[in-house]
Amino acid sequence: MNIYDTIIIGAGHNGLVAAAYLAKQGKKVLVLERRDIVGGQVVTESFGDGFTVDSLHAGGTLRPDIIKDLNLASFGLVVDSVRKPFISLQPDSNHLVLDANPAKAVESIKRFSEKDAANWIPFLNFMDKVTRFIHAANETIMPRLPKGFNFSEGVDLAKMGINLRMMGGADMMKIIRGIPMTADEFVDEWFESDVVKAAIASLGIHGFTLGVFGAGTGYTLMHNWANRGGLSNVSAQGGVGKITEALASAVKSFSGEIRTGAEVKRILVDTFTCKGVVLTNGEEISAKNIISAADPKHTFLNLVGAVNLPPELVWNVQSIKMRGSVAKVHLLVDNIDAVVAGATHASPLPATFVIAPSIKYLEQAYDAAKYHSISEKPYLEVTTSGNVVSVHFQFAAYKLKDGDWKTEGAKVEKVAIETLAEYFPNLKSSIVNTKTITPLDMEQTYGLTEGDLNHGQIMLDQFMFMRPIPGWSNHKTPIDNLYLCGSGVHGGGGISGASGWNVVKVLK
Amino acid sequence: MQQLRNTPFHERTSALCMPQNWRKWAGYYVVGSYEHTIDREYWAIRNAAALIDVTPLMKYIIKGRDAARLLDRVTTRNIQKMSVGQVYYTGWCDDEGKLIDDGTVARLDETTFRLTAAEPNLRWLMMNAVGLDVQLEDQTDSVASLSLQGPNSRSVLKRVCESDVDGLKYFRLMQNRLAGVEVTISRTGYTGDLGYEIWMDAKDALKVWDGLMEAGHDYGILPVGILALDMARVEAGLFMLDVDYTSASHAWIESQKSSPFELGLDWTVALDKAGYFVGRKALEREKREGSAWKMVGIEIDWVGMEQIYAEVGLPPQVPGSAIRASMPIMVGNVQVGYASTASWSPLLKKYIALAHLQKPYYELGTDVRMEITVEHHRKHAPAKVVKLPFYEPEWKKR
Repeated sequence: MNIYDTIIIGAGHNGLVAAAYLAKQGKKVLVLERRDIVGGQVVTESFGDGFTVDSLHAGGTLRPDIIKDLNLASFGLVVDSVRKPFISLQPDSNHLVLDANPAKAVESIKRFSEKDAANWIPFLNFMDKVTRFIHAANETIMPRLPKGFNFSEGVDLAKMGINLRMMGGADMMKIIRGIPMTADEFVDEWFESDVVKAAIASLGIHGFTLGVFGAGTGYTLMHNWANRGGLSNVSAQGGVGKITEALASAVKSFSGEIRTGAEVKRILVDTFTCKGVVLTNGEEISAKNIISAADPKHTFLNLVGAVNLPPELVWNVQSIKMRGSVAKVHLLVDNIDAVVAGATHASPLPATFVIAPSIKYLEQAYDAAKYHSISEKPYLEVTTSGNVVSVHFQFAAYKLKDGDWKTEGAKVEKVAIETLAEYFPNLKSSIVNTKTITPLDMEQTYGLTEGDLNHGQIMLDQFMFMRPIPGWSNHKTPIDNLYLCGSGVHGGGGISGASGWNVVKVLK
Repeated sequence: MQQLRNTPFHERTSALCMPQNWRKWAGYYVVGSYEHTIDREYWAIRNAAALIDVTPLMKYIIKGRDAARLLDRVTTRNIQKMSVGQVYYTGWCDDEGKLIDDGTVARLDETTFRLTAAEPNLRWLMMNAVGLDVQLEDQTDSVASLSLQGPNSRSVLKRVCESDVDGLKYFRLMQNRLAGVEVTISRTGYTGDLGYEIWMDAKDALKVWDGLMEAGHDYGILPVGILALDMARVEAGLFMLDVDYTSASHAWIESQKSSPFELGLDWTVALDKAGYFVGRKALEREKREGSAWKMVGIEIDWVGMEQIYAEVGLPPQVPGSAIRASMPIMVGNVQVGYASTASWSPLLKKYIALAHLQKPYYELGTDVRMEITVEHHRKHAPAKVVKLPFYEPEWKKR
């Protein structure tokens, strides 16, 4: 029988990063993916003729060190050289254009506040330091607190502390203070214009079920900024799917195996070790180690089974807040130039547009998530690619008070189009095809429990050494040879690959 | 603050409780002693028949396809091996292998069990039942229970039960009719004597009480409070939660917790059963590495006591009931442990105690000294580690 060194459950970016590193070390690895395509959340899919979209994430990139280690350029990954301008659309058409070129951004900010314009470059410098700190934090294996803290973990943690200290006392304090702050408070320390503040604060709630007045959105703002490397994404040429395609090619080039259409039904557990997996078709596959890139809730409660796990751990896993509230609306239009004309404010396509006109607007959009409904006036982040307009829609609560996601997708689509039409008057008449992905689709099609892109919200009680659960923050589990590497572990949340990279260090 | 409740037997017990000696037990009032001294009640347990209201025991019904699986996961015993009608004594641990509580599991039918506990455990059971097909029901209030203990207890039951109890073996149960009502009778108890526990619907409580008191009249039956029971359970070497050990679920510090091995429950830890159960990893480690502590019996040397008391011109004094206090135990000038309950045994004519001793002092026959207070001065009475139980009549299991 074919025994693998490691089976990796899920061919998302983290699973593939882990697989590529292990295969590169000469390990015999097998990646099992339930869908017919690899990529997980990082996929480019076609929904019809000419209607090819980045399904869930319109952009993103792996950490540069991972791209280099795995030589992903040789597997066809070309990272965009320019960062798209980040344009906050305003009802009065006086749009804020935060160009990647700081001088251009300053010019645009001046129209809102001279003082804010003067603060823009110091803010970018500070956010560079934030990015360095978060990258350092994300490559640190978190110690198991309160139990199991040992010397080697202490060394890693000390390195992270040194990184933080190297930033200088004042900036270190600013970063630490920023973590529990609200996104509103965070930007309020730098800027006075509501338009400028809201545009930046929107990043603090992007992908999260949190409002800009929520504690800890200071951290999520820094987290998203660090993963993106700025306000808007850089991406891979040809779509985000190229990232995972390159990873898959890397895995195969190192003689790793990837099987798609192979859904794991259970992890076979014998008291404190796992022997392998059984697929939904009944096939059993053995391995010395198993790494699950699926979310911790699905991994522990469905794949391992609560009966095989300590009750405190089960309780902690049940308590992980998933709470997805993102929907995606993709629109195929017949003439993209006509649609965006007048809205780009002289900035050439492609761009990232946000509907985040004020701090209060963002908080009110979030109210829908609190009350289990769909925002009437949503926070949107909009990107274009060819003739496709992709809308990231917040908030659309996974658990709806009224109605269900079998029918409410149409409402999300309608609200998204109506909202955008206020800024793009030619949009409606130009739409030729639509594809809406609801939180329920994210669960059923993409395997994200409760439609949570993060595999568990990033909140103050679910981050760093409390991610995915307190006491098990180092990729390990009570099953000796079962490891986690998805977004639900520290390093995860957003596209970076840190979690998949870190698990390999733990396995050694 | 929640008012303590009365048990379904209160109408009878309150009329009989002469000294108004009431004790709190798990949210209920129960009788401490029915008479001003507890001697007669103690001797009823050892020589005749004692009727004890044990309703405050927590009672949980665990029902469903995975009921055995849940109990196998929670407790340290191998529940899969249990036959219908069998009762197991068991403890259950947290995942660090420290005891949370102890009680009995009764297999009422293939998929129904009753678990008794000293403290509320419903949340713990629910936490462990995730993903299992079981229903949990707390029957603490709806089911009343009486303990009938003593060498005459079988004769009393034979007189009042419809079906014969002769065939009912130790740690087995049967359905029966008693004084015209449906009851479950298990051959279990907390005295180390021949004895039974009778489980009934709370509304039938008084009928069963009256039936037993009437049937027991010629056998010297007495209603017995928990003070006499406390003396008997020490003789039987049975420990009590919150007196002899602290539940891991509410210990303040690690050192307050105890493992089943440390309490002498080695025989209840089925490390040969399959799969994960709560605490397994820690218990396997402790089994391999040995326990730091052990609960043992100690017998205090009477002659040594006489000498200590003679120094102040008194004969030895012994407590009139079990003392629930921590008493240091020494070897030389070093404290090697403590006694958690001490009692004069009227039957054995010995001063005995349940003691927790550190390795290696828990070996049988070790000479130790227990602190006693003589006329306001701390003294150390010589004692010896002995085998538990202190008392086990040959009719207990017969």
